[in-house]
Amino acid sequence: MSRRTPSRRATPRANPRSQELLFEIGTEELPSQFIPSALSDVRDRALHLLKDARISHGEPKTLGTPRRLTLVVPDLADFQEPLATEAMGPSKAVAFDAQGQPTRAATGFAASHGLAVAALEVRTTPKGEYLFAVKREAGRKTSALLPDLLQNLLGQLSFPKAMRWNASGVRFARPIRWLVAVHERKPIRFSYAGITGNDRTYGHRFLSSNKALRVTDFKIYVKSLLSAGVVADPEQRRSMIVGQLERLAKKRRARLVRDEALLEQAVYTVEMPYALAGEFDRRYLVLPKEVLMTAMKEHQGYFSLLAEDGALLPVFITVTNMAAAQESSIRAGNERVLAARLADAKFFFDEDRKRALVDRVEQLKGIVFHQKLGTVYDKVQRMIKITAVLAPSLIIPHDHDRVLKCSRASLLCKADLTTGMVREFPDLQGVLGGIYARYDDEDEEVSDAISEHYLPKSAEDSLPISFAGRIVSIADRLDTVTSFFAVRLVPSGSQDPYALRRHAYAVIRILLEAGLSLDLRQLIEVALQVVKEQGIPTDEDADQKLYYFFVERLRYYLSVVCQIPEDLIDAVLSFSQDNPFNPVDLRHRAEALQIFKERAEFVSLLIGYKRAVNITKKEKYYDDNVMEGLLKEDAERKLYYSLQETENRVSSSLQERKYHEVLETLVSLKEPIDNFFDAVMVMVEDEAIRKNRLALLTKVRKLFRRYCDFSVISEPIPPGKLVGV
Amino acid sequence: MTLQDLLFSLQKFWAARGCVIHQPYDLEVGAGTFHPATFLRVLGPEPWRSAYVQPCRRPTDGRYGDNPNRLQHYYQYQVILKPAPADVQDLYVESLRTVGINPKQHDIRFVQDDWESPTLGAWGLGWEVRLDGMEITQFTYFQEVGGIELNPVSAEITYGTERIAMYLQGMENVYDLVWAEGVTYGDLHHEDEVQFSKYNFERADVAALRSSFAAYEAEGKALAAEGLVLPAYDCCMKTSHLFNVLDARGALSVAERTGFIARVRALARLCAEGYIQTREAQGFPLLHRSRAVKSVGV
Repeated sequence: MSRRTPSRRATPRANPRSQELLFEIGTEELPSQFIPSALSDVRDRALHLLKDARISHGEPKTLGTPRRLTLVVPDLADFQEPLATEAMGPSKAVAFDAQGQPTRAATGFAASHGLAVAALEVRTTPKGEYLFAVKREAGRKTSALLPDLLQNLLGQLSFPKAMRWNASGVRFARPIRWLVAVHERKPIRFSYAGITGNDRTYGHRFLSSNKALRVTDFKIYVKSLLSAGVVADPEQRRSMIVGQLERLAKKRRARLVRDEALLEQAVYTVEMPYALAGEFDRRYLVLPKEVLMTAMKEHQGYFSLLAEDGALLPVFITVTNMAAAQESSIRAGNERVLAARLADAKFFFDEDRKRALVDRVEQLKGIVFHQKLGTVYDKVQRMIKITAVLAPSLIIPHDHDRVLKCSRASLLCKADLTTGMVREFPDLQGVLGGIYARYDDEDEEVSDAISEHYLPKSAEDSLPISFAGRIVSIADRLDTVTSFFAVRLVPSGSQDPYALRRHAYAVIRILLEAGLSLDLRQLIEVALQVVKEQGIPTDEDADQKLYYFFVERLRYYLSVVCQIPEDLIDAVLSFSQDNPFNPVDLRHRAEALQIFKERAEFVSLLIGYKRAVNITKKEKYYDDNVMEGLLKEDAERKLYYSLQETENRVSSSLQERKYHEVLETLVSLKEPIDNFFDAVMVMVEDEAIRKNRLALLTKVRKLFRRYCDFSVISEPIPPGKLVGV
Repeated sequence: MTLQDLLFSLQKFWAARGCVIHQPYDLEVGAGTFHPATFLRVLGPEPWRSAYVQPCRRPTDGRYGDNPNRLQHYYQYQVILKPAPADVQDLYVESLRTVGINPKQHDIRFVQDDWESPTLGAWGLGWEVRLDGMEITQFTYFQEVGGIELNPVSAEITYGTERIAMYLQGMENVYDLVWAEGVTYGDLHHEDEVQFSKYNFERADVAALRSSFAAYEAEGKALAAEGLVLPAYDCCMKTSHLFNVLDARGALSVAERTGFIARVRALARLCAEGYIQTREAQGFPLLHRSRAVKSVGV
């Protein structure tokens, strides 16, 4: 078998040495949530550094556990790519005199590139013969470049929170304890953070003997680690864990509650996953499912199981770091910890339920919302007042009961902050309020609204489902944003400590995605008024600042989510400056525009409209009182009658929010406008006629302005016309 | 293993690794970190190793002796290793073996924990160590203390002695722990929990606490200004404890709370700065006697 066929020998044989780079940062236990991003960081930076060093290579791969970040790059070239740089100098005619001797131009050019004149090359270019300084740098050996490269790589890694641990002063997420750096099966000598690169790694903290393992390539590395109790590949650990969880669930005829965040955490907290099920006392099942699951998940990272009917089982699964000898004692230990936590939870739950939510509202006076804005009780009072305006404006036809539900939910939504359970599990705020509200026999929608009013928690999170939940969510956030603006605590740059941008964006999202049509400017005024009524000194310009703050959030939504071009967004936002600031309405206007802009006649309409605007603006003419008797030309009379006719149609279409129709009507003015400009001279001597024509154009402008600000819309390039190449 | 045997084992283990075995500090403190053997000794360049039991008071954690896991007074076992040795995690695991916890038979995990003490102006990164899911130790690489960046970095290991003993003895209730043959934890401390919970939550004289706080704060500042940093630091510990009692008593609003914490921290900072100056004036004596640690090494 050792004989090779001639044909094989003829092809360039792969280098028998491993041209692989194996790099491992051995650490003390890293925070699990840092590891995935650290691995992609290692990979990206390595790619960059290799590229800068002109070393070609194969596809890199990363592996990682709590105690190691590993990078392997196959097929590194032996040498870096050679580098050739060339610079063009003076022309040959200038460079050499009649005797063929180099002039100062030649010697100066050569010297500036560190070359002798003799080393310069003469090349023929389209402009004639010129001197060139060409420098060729042979590629250095890859192995000579790697020490610096790895050192740089380590220096470039950063973490959300880093620490020092030894005299080197280096910062990392947790101490680095060893460095594996192997190339062509040999250790790369370099040092970082007081540690020397080597070909030695270490296995599982408890499953291996703590003796160094010598690794000469990636295959051996993975194998040695496995035999030392480490599954280095996170994906492999993930599938092991999922398999183990499913098996344990199946054994109990149960359904696993899939929780990706929890799974991710498990993957990056162990080196040799081993899932283990334990139980808790059935009497804790009287606690709400959310409380039990949170108690298991938040502190202990336990998975939950559901019975076929969806009820929570008194079982938990923990993913341990190894299949230890005494499974029963591990189980018992975890059961004891959970029992203590659930006992606490049960205690709080029983205590909390001794008082109804409605009786807790008064206690909110003891919780400060913000020093300048009073207590949470004060905030709730403001929310109730905002709701009292907001809810009726959206409940059409009027329904007193539904309005009452919204205001009840506003009153009760923060009361759970006074409960022991929320102090213990702050993530359950709102959700617990909803649960307690049901125990208090509050209305179903009121309870839902309390649970949901913190939604959406992020830009992608889902909205409250109940109508009252949406109302309370808007009232809550509107009060937060408005009140902070009122006392001049506004976001600046990257500083937004009260997350006002997120809150404002949530308001925009709820309005748009739930189709809640209202004038946000009026609502802001209401919210500001409510702040003032509490005797809080407020910024006089807060209303304008708030308008622009919300405008920016709306702009973002229309641009990123609705994919509407910037100029159309500008057109409707500019319109909103002196018209109702109704996000839903503005969106519809912009969307209709987006469709219309594709049409050929829209372009010339736009051009005609802009001429009308420019001329009236230039003359500062804003009166639209046209005297019919002064209309001399046919074209201007036609335009006038067309305008009269379209004005009525535009009005009724706007009334019914049929924006497509409005645009359709406006487009019908294209011809009369075009003809007007073709046949009529506006700036004539006769002042009366001139003013009359300006008034006619002002009428055009005003009519268009009822839809949006067309003047900021850029004219699309007419189809077929090529722009400069 | 009785609780006192657990403490003996830890004392012997760490003494053999070059630690000075200190005695508990004789003032009320919320954690072993407050002991001058930690708070002050980790400052400046001098090497230092010490270990000690420290009774701690956490007034808000009192439960009138009714809760099997929560106490307003308990015992920490505190270890300070300065500079942090490279094998500090291994040393810790070995200490667990010494007290009878075989890591091969349990699930021992180092779970991320970012430690911060706003009153001491201190922070560090490390872990809570979990034994079969239960937190038994706090493990921290100190980065800053008294608002001062530390160099060298110290490793702090804080064992929860009751938790470990409960595990070793298989007890569900802290009061059932055997402290010594025939004497339980409850015999020693149950009544303390009942009485101090009542005092902390119901009886403590808020006005008196507030004026004591102000008095110790003023005294501490004055002493620190005169270079008497050790008594100044005593005053600082006093203010910290008084604040804790006021907090448990529910006497502080959120805003006020922040203000009190800032006042304790300001005093802690004065003490930390003063301590470094004092040591510097003395030429950092332990710097030249590093054999004290080295020769006894592991």
